[in-house]
Amino acid sequence: MEQSRKKFLKHFLIGAVSAPVILEACKKKDVISDSSGSGSGSGSGSGSGTCTVSPTETAGPFPTITPSSLVRSDIRDDRTGVALTVKITIKNTNSSCAALAGAIVDIWHCDKDGYYSEYGGTSMQSVNYSGVHFLRGRQTTDANGLVTFTSIFPGWYSGRATHIHVHIYNASGTSLLVTQIAFPEGSSSAVATVNGSGGVAYGYTKGMTGYTYNASDNIFSDDSAGAELATVSGSLSGGYTLTHTINVAA
Amino acid sequence: MPKKIIRLCYRKVIDASSQKVWDKYVFDSTYKEFLMQAQFYNQEKKFSTFAEILHHVPGAEKLHFLVSTAVTGYLQQLRGIVPDILNNLGKHFLPFENYRFEIINSDIKNKASHQVAINFFSKPLQWHDTINGFLLVSPVNGEKTDDGQMTELVQLPPFLSIYSLKTANE
Repeated sequence: MEQSRKKFLKHFLIGAVSAPVILEACKKKDVISDSSGSGSGSGSGSGSGTCTVSPTETAGPFPTITPSSLVRSDIRDDRTGVALTVKITIKNTNSSCAALAGAIVDIWHCDKDGYYSEYGGTSMQSVNYSGVHFLRGRQTTDANGLVTFTSIFPGWYSGRATHIHVHIYNASGTSLLVTQIAFPEGSSSAVATVNGSGGVAYGYTKGMTGYTYNASDNIFSDDSAGAELATVSGSLSGGYTLTHTINVAA
Repeated sequence: MPKKIIRLCYRKVIDASSQKVWDKYVFDSTYKEFLMQAQFYNQEKKFSTFAEILHHVPGAEKLHFLVSTAVTGYLQQLRGIVPDILNNLGKHFLPFENYRFEIINSDIKNKASHQVAINFFSKPLQWHDTINGFLLVSPVNGEKTDDGQMTELVQLPPFLSIYSLKTANE
């Protein structure tokens, strides 16, 4: 410890020519005082304890206005699984069900193991900022009312059928509809195939034991007309494509 | 002697009075995202403040996470260095990879009451000594030169704290 202290002092003396600059920077007007009140001191009196140097660096990096990290078409991040392309068309019931251009569409769904991206329970638990928002995305509908997402086939978790959450907003961000998309079922369906023996190689290991079917799902069970039911086509190796139309009153 | 490894946490509070450009962008972007995301938890439009939504609606604590999507792009612009925190030479130096975003207060009818915080968690630092109120630290596995390990001197102003401490035999 003493050794490192001596080394430090030696370094400081070498750099002594710059010391007046640092001392000059300690005048009160230069003390950092941003809005969070860091300049208010901690009661240690008039000593140098509350005095910190001002930034003395080349300016930059220069901030630029950046959209939400939700705004993207490929929402996979580090999640793996069977490829799924999600194509959602938004139509306007206030305009004879014409395509609604310029609507903002948020989607989110769970990964192959049934987990959503979210903060853990501990309030001080930290996260790495890259990839923390996996399987969540936002797109704006084109002239045909269409948005497209590149994702993976959702897994399932206890109590729910396979589903994708959708929140549709108008162009200014006002909520128009919160809904969910259901998947077709049956022995040859994508849900049965992905969660069957063929899906194990892609990491879908739960099988269908304990699966909640649409008829028992407390969100989809009242949808006897199938308005929330998507069309899903494709294969394990080639990936699946989900197409669905959602009507909103805009 | 045992080696002390610490991680620092800087809790950067941003509100309507924040002056720096980056802070203003984060303020505007997180408020816009809050307005969008809060509608999911306030579909009957019964509530106005974040506190009310949090108190009455199950699952609304997810808003911290959901609104954090508005911050990611701004974090990337920092190039891995914690803002505001300077070493005693007046330079930004503190590397981070992890963060946690929190909404402190907000109100869908009053932008002025929007207040958020970004907690920056530094990469692990070796804490060698404390000199006149300054921590003498160096990056774990940092560069070694003929003069020994390169070090930084840093003070602990309000909102900067030691988040974790690990001791290991040298």
